[in-house]
Amino acid sequence: MFKKKGNDGNKSIENQPLKNNGTTITSDALKRHLANMDDAEFIERTTDKEQKIMFVYIRTLIDHERFNESIIQPLMHHSCDLIYECITTSKVSEINTMEEALSQLLQGSILINDPIRNQWWAVLLQNPLARGIETSETETILYGSKDSFSEVLEQNITMIRRRLPIAELKTEKFTVGSLSKSTVVLMYIDGLTNPEFIAIAREKIKQINYDMFLDSSQVATFMEEHHNSVFPQFQQTDRPDVCAYSLGLGKITILVGNTPFALNAPVTFFHLFQSPEDYINRWIVASFLRSLRYISFLLSLILIPMYVALTTHHYQMIPLQLLFVLLESRGKLPFTPFWESFLILGVMEIIKEASLRMPTKSSQTLGVIGGIVIGQAAVQAGFASQVLIVLMGISAIASFLVPNYLMTKANTLIQLMILILSSLLGIFGIVLGLIALLIHLNSLTSLKQPYLAPLTPFYWKDWMDLFIRGPLVNMKSRPEHLRPLKKWRYSQRR
Amino acid sequence: MMICLVLFLGGCSPFMESHLTENNLIEEIAPVIFWSVNKGEEGKLKVSTLVPPLTDEKKRLNTLEVDLLKQGEKGFNLTYYREVKTGQLRMMLINEEVAKDGLLPVITTLLVDTDVSQRLYLVIVKGDFEEYMSKQIEKQENLDYFIYRMLKHYEDDKGEITVINLHQFKNYLYSPFLDPLLPVFKIEEDKFMYEGTAFFNDDKFVANVNGIEDNIVQLLATNNYLDLLPLPEQSVTLGHVQANVDTKLNDLSSISIKVKLNGSIDEYRGDKDIHDYSTIKEINKEAKVYLEKKTKEVLKQFQEWKVDPLHFGTLTLKPFEKKMDHEEWMKHWEDMEIDVEYELEFEPLTNIDTNDGDHLTH
Amino acid sequence: MKTFPLFNKSSAFDGIYLVFMLSRLQMLYYMLIMPTILVDPYMIWVIILVGAVSQLILIMISKWFSSEFAAKGYLGFVELFGERTVRILAFLGLGLILLKLSVHLLGYVEIVHQFIFFSMKPSWLIFFVLLISCYIASKGVENTIRYSVIAFLCTIWMLFLFIPFYTPPIAFLHDLYPLIPTEWSGQSWRGLLLIMASFSGAEYVLFLSPWFKRDKKTVKYFSVANGITIFEYVFLFIASLLFYGANYLSKSSYPLVNMVRYLQSPLFERIDMIVIAMFLIHFSFAIGLLLLLLYGGVRIAGGNQNQPTRIGFAACAIVVFITMIIMNELLWKDHSRQTKLIDLQMWIGAATYLLVPVVLLAALKRKGRT
Repeated sequence: MFKKKGNDGNKSIENQPLKNNGTTITSDALKRHLANMDDAEFIERTTDKEQKIMFVYIRTLIDHERFNESIIQPLMHHSCDLIYECITTSKVSEINTMEEALSQLLQGSILINDPIRNQWWAVLLQNPLARGIETSETETILYGSKDSFSEVLEQNITMIRRRLPIAELKTEKFTVGSLSKSTVVLMYIDGLTNPEFIAIAREKIKQINYDMFLDSSQVATFMEEHHNSVFPQFQQTDRPDVCAYSLGLGKITILVGNTPFALNAPVTFFHLFQSPEDYINRWIVASFLRSLRYISFLLSLILIPMYVALTTHHYQMIPLQLLFVLLESRGKLPFTPFWESFLILGVMEIIKEASLRMPTKSSQTLGVIGGIVIGQAAVQAGFASQVLIVLMGISAIASFLVPNYLMTKANTLIQLMILILSSLLGIFGIVLGLIALLIHLNSLTSLKQPYLAPLTPFYWKDWMDLFIRGPLVNMKSRPEHLRPLKKWRYSQRR
Repeated sequence: MMICLVLFLGGCSPFMESHLTENNLIEEIAPVIFWSVNKGEEGKLKVSTLVPPLTDEKKRLNTLEVDLLKQGEKGFNLTYYREVKTGQLRMMLINEEVAKDGLLPVITTLLVDTDVSQRLYLVIVKGDFEEYMSKQIEKQENLDYFIYRMLKHYEDDKGEITVINLHQFKNYLYSPFLDPLLPVFKIEEDKFMYEGTAFFNDDKFVANVNGIEDNIVQLLATNNYLDLLPLPEQSVTLGHVQANVDTKLNDLSSISIKVKLNGSIDEYRGDKDIHDYSTIKEINKEAKVYLEKKTKEVLKQFQEWKVDPLHFGTLTLKPFEKKMDHEEWMKHWEDMEIDVEYELEFEPLTNIDTNDGDHLTH
Repeated sequence: MKTFPLFNKSSAFDGIYLVFMLSRLQMLYYMLIMPTILVDPYMIWVIILVGAVSQLILIMISKWFSSEFAAKGYLGFVELFGERTVRILAFLGLGLILLKLSVHLLGYVEIVHQFIFFSMKPSWLIFFVLLISCYIASKGVENTIRYSVIAFLCTIWMLFLFIPFYTPPIAFLHDLYPLIPTEWSGQSWRGLLLIMASFSGAEYVLFLSPWFKRDKKTVKYFSVANGITIFEYVFLFIASLLFYGANYLSKSSYPLVNMVRYLQSPLFERIDMIVIAMFLIHFSFAIGLLLLLLYGGVRIAGGNQNQPTRIGFAACAIVVFITMIIMNELLWKDHSRQTKLIDLQMWIGAATYLLVPVVLLAALKRKGRT
């Protein structure tokens, strides 16, 4: 259990583990705790006033320059009665227990002992080790802002705050993970986001009990209701503009320390198909592109199963000209359509995964070799028909149109399920599979909110931004399915 | 997990490819696109089809003498290594001799089979189609497919030949006021050519009309449109003929048909000056008289054959009256007065000085 | 052990779901065979007439929806009739549900069997259809009600497929003549009964009243659903008349399916296979809903007040499956018995649609007086 520390006047930022039987801090006790830690350092300095001051810190975690500038120099050369007054950095807090001391140390604080008062102070001087703000690689867009989150939590919050400079944007901090001590920040707009979401999220974060959190998706795993689903129940994004937009609609955002990916919730199935660029393009173009994504998602699911269904069961459905081509190309193949597509689908997945794991330059070569050479060779060697290779290519490319990459990967699994059904029952099997998929989606929830909203539950007003992206001037209200406290997007004065 | 999947699939694959459903793997079947039915010896039927359909393999014509139509399908399977399937059947070529005995058994067989498309084209053939096919197959490999494309083309793009599919034929057959009609093709040496439209009394082939008479039937009933209408006696060819037919039934004893034809004069080989506006008027007048005469003749013939392929019977249907039955209508139809009136508006396509006519009057 | 929240109520549904549910429940198997039995053009008026009667019944049902007993669900019925009677009624209801379920399930399976998999054993199809329906039902009442939106949207577009039949060269006005009944035979009575039975469905929805908001607009939603259904019936019936003419219509076993078979699409030749398979979406919804009602009915009849269990539900589904297999073998395969079964369900469907609301309203009135 973690408890948020009250704002009792000091400038501490931490949530400390609450232990009432905290022992008093002594340098001996500290030395004992930090034994065998090569980078833990204890230094003693004497000031101009002949005061002996002790500094305890972990070398690898602190910023040495600032340590010198803002602590050592003022303390050595100025005469202050209180150490606290001499230190020019802002983050100075009083610490009393051993637990506090250790936790501060490990976050990059310098502990300072005031021998006169026998008081320990902690000064947070973290090592500013971080990469700069780069463009997003997972969600690339042509127009729109280019910055993306980095591993530094504070920086990420800054990026969102700059986009939403309002006092109502709240950030609540939690620490999770017994080993990783990851900081989790829950963000929402007070007075707009439905309090139910905030309460559920708060509750769920508090209930997390695990050791390591290296990525926000792991936090998401512990917060979702359906563990055995291929569909992501939190939207992972590294784009601050997406987060700001979601917050503005009435969703919550969860930031996790040391990962560049934020979580947005509650999401719906349809959010997987929305790209930030939808709101940049002209609305007609954006609507077209969005519907194209839905269609290609469906295509990527049923194109290959359809081929199997038609060639194994429903030759009646094939147009005569196409039947000509199919009879020709399937005539000498050793495998049945199902096994043919099953094998080629497997190869395709191997190529996809391989090109992902390779460095960028070699992955291009791999793609070419995989796509063209193997495909062509498979046809010539008589393993697969040309029609299948064409369809496979289309379906693979179509699967990449879904902006959410996690979904793209899940695609193949669904496709495989439908493929098996289609070889069993043809068209009927495909529909059976799609119905099962719909039922599954219908029963999914994200943050206890229905995953298929606004389709089911039915909110027809939200359809303006569902399969199409209506003109922004017409989207006057926030999505109804998020039940925001403020319905209208324009201010009431208008 | 993968192993489980493979085991499952391995275990299921015989189950899913043969036991659960019919085996329709396309490499193992021969989806034929036409059947031809002829009269065999001793009341038997001669059924033939071309296998393999649609591939580059060497084709051969399979012909069997059977008692029942479906017996033919079974027979084909025994003689050919692929299973013959009817799911892509597109044409049924029926010999006129078979048609004269009645088409009902053939139609019923086709209707019962849910694999057979309702859009199957029915064609009456005069002559020995099997012989023609086996000869022609050496020269034209996909002959069956070409015939199908031709019929399909004229179904969508009307204007040359009558095309009737199974559904339409069946509807005509079962309706009291619609007598069926079908296209007739004849075989002349190595030509397979369209002859005209065949008429049926109930399901029995009665007679067919050719040439100008067929054109009139198409104008009045099936298409209401002709690409070209040659009138040799007037030395003129009319093009893009659009017919607007208005039929009126005056009390069951007489019928008046008003036909308005629009189109162009595409060709003229007479001695008059076609550039003269009055010539055009004259041609129109001559054509009108000719067409009226011919139409009357055709309709008289229908009355003699006791068929009503132009569906005049539907005129007796009124929203608030009881329907007549077939016999009653035929009794009226046989000795009905027919009054035909044509109204022609043909213009030459270009290059005509329309003022000429006016000059003459001035 | 994890709970099996089959009958949970977390939020009250809007009336709009009534539109989706009712309109799908009215478009089941009987709609598919309707033109064959109606045959004559003047039956258009009968459809509209019965639609009006159905509207009256729906007004009665919406009265029930707004009563306080409806919100209480099972307890409301107990208050009205007493526990013993409710249990007996529930037991009787089981038979009715099973009958309705069997006709629609077996009817759909037969269509699939005839048009898609002629050589497949119907038992397999029954198995697959029931499997998917059980999957829907196992997600609970709430999800099933929400699924009605999907069922509606995924099947309503099929109406557009029938528009080509209203255009020449297929459509001739004279196919619709005569428009007034010139004779009235037993077959016409059968048609009337069939229309009534096809309109039924709302009498099952009313048992779901606790899941819905109690508002005054229920009548409005019911009327919309009823209106959509009347339109669909008339639209499809006229399309089939135009396509076949009254004379052949009675000879065609599944006219609407055959009509779709006639259509040509540039991509596929036989879109009827896709359309028939798509029917599964709303058939599975209806069957899933009936399964839930059946399981609920079993629990009430058995006096079981505990939490629903997976085993109980599975057992119920297995019993239904076995019953369906037996019914298929004994009744459905034999054509004359099949007709009798369809007729029986016609009578019972029409009767329950009329009687259930009337009885409930009468009970409400009696309760109100005392």
